[in-house]
Amino acid sequence: MTAPTDKRQLLIDHILAGQDGFYRLAYSYVKDPDAAMDVVQESIAKALGKVDGLRQPAYLKTWFYRILVNESVNYFRHSRRLVPLDQDGPGLSAAPEPDYSARIDLHNAIERLGEKERTVIRLRFFEDLKLEEIAKITGANLNTVKSRLYKGLKRLRAWTGEDFYEGSL
Amino acid sequence: MKDHFEQEKLSYQSVEVPPALSFTVAAAIREGDRRRRARRRVRRACTAGLAGCACFCLLVNSSPALASALEQVPVLGHLARLVTVEEYHAHNRTRLIDVRRPALTVTGRPQLEEAITVEIDQQIDLLVEEAELRAEEQYTAFTVTGGQEEEFLPVIVTIDYELRCSNQRYLSFLIYQTEVQATAYTQIFAYNLDLTTGEPVTLEDLLGPDYQAIAGEAVQAEMDRRVREEDAVYFTADLGGFSGITAGQLFCLDESGNPVILFQKYEVAPGFMGQQEFTVPIPEPSLQAGR
Repeated sequence: MTAPTDKRQLLIDHILAGQDGFYRLAYSYVKDPDAAMDVVQESIAKALGKVDGLRQPAYLKTWFYRILVNESVNYFRHSRRLVPLDQDGPGLSAAPEPDYSARIDLHNAIERLGEKERTVIRLRFFEDLKLEEIAKITGANLNTVKSRLYKGLKRLRAWTGEDFYEGSL
Repeated sequence: MKDHFEQEKLSYQSVEVPPALSFTVAAAIREGDRRRRARRRVRRACTAGLAGCACFCLLVNSSPALASALEQVPVLGHLARLVTVEEYHAHNRTRLIDVRRPALTVTGRPQLEEAITVEIDQQIDLLVEEAELRAEEQYTAFTVTGGQEEEFLPVIVTIDYELRCSNQRYLSFLIYQTEVQATAYTQIFAYNLDLTTGEPVTLEDLLGPDYQAIAGEAVQAEMDRRVREEDAVYFTADLGGFSGITAGQLFCLDESGNPVILFQKYEVAPGFMGQQEFTVPIPEPSLQAGR
């Protein structure tokens, strides 16, 4: 059992070392700098508030990702916060019913994925996390994560007409 | 098509991180530490078998034994004083924060002193943190929407206190937080203490069970007079104006210990009317009865 102060320090070190990455991950969900800052801010405050309850410091990394992903996903969900309209960013400007016959680029394709598949794809390919870690972060079991990854890649392939590496599965 | 993923990853990683991120992170860590402390305090209190009760207003209840012991302390002149213990200035490119932090000294009441001072400290810390966060948000919003860093007007935050009543029986003071960006807004927090019991004074203590009617009538009469004689303007009740005294009504005491009903700016009147105050004279019998 690690002393409480050590856990706090570990978490702070982790946050300070990875803050840019955390911001980017939040940004990839909320597509707005202010919203991403809000998410990062709230995630850190929440994590620190609960760090004493973390039993295994070894899971600190995945535990913090989990908080961050939850905060990101929930940011627009249970709030009166407004979705920024002035975004010409991908995903938001897309027509409600995507035209699958039109080939789109990978970036837009990822934005079109369902939230769960997108999370797996992002964590796996952009954050370079292991599938086991992703399972812990998302609270799903390993096989579910695998199937989400597989389905996600399959959709991306269908939408973009490109073959993504199956080797990574 | 591995390349596409690599490319996409590069573009993901090249998302620009706002310069204010470090500030936000630092503020978040402070906020997190505060939550963590609060959590630990609660946990400790629970293990000690104490029922924890969090309340926005002051809680200075001590045991009945202590309260009655305190009551016997002879009253010698002014019991309590507010002293400035800290002047805090934080000036940087996003904010100019000035804080005058009071602490309470009460003759022969270290516990009461401590309880109030801790309460004030927490309130002020919270206000400063919130103001800092807002200033950062404003700054970020300004710069990401194309504003030049050097053109950003810092958010000016002032936290100050004002003693309203200090006599043998009562102590009443207000804490003001004023924030100026393009417009100014002020938040007021009132602290009213009965020094004989060490407890917060309520309007009910002062005016009796009919306090809502008594104070409501006094406020309405004075409003009508000001409208008649001073060209004052108030919102009508159906437009969100004054519609009666609520249980959590903000008030303080004047020098003679009469309650003064306070309304923050915009609460019952247009902004130009500013903060509104209405003194409600304590009805004679209850004044004489004392306690």
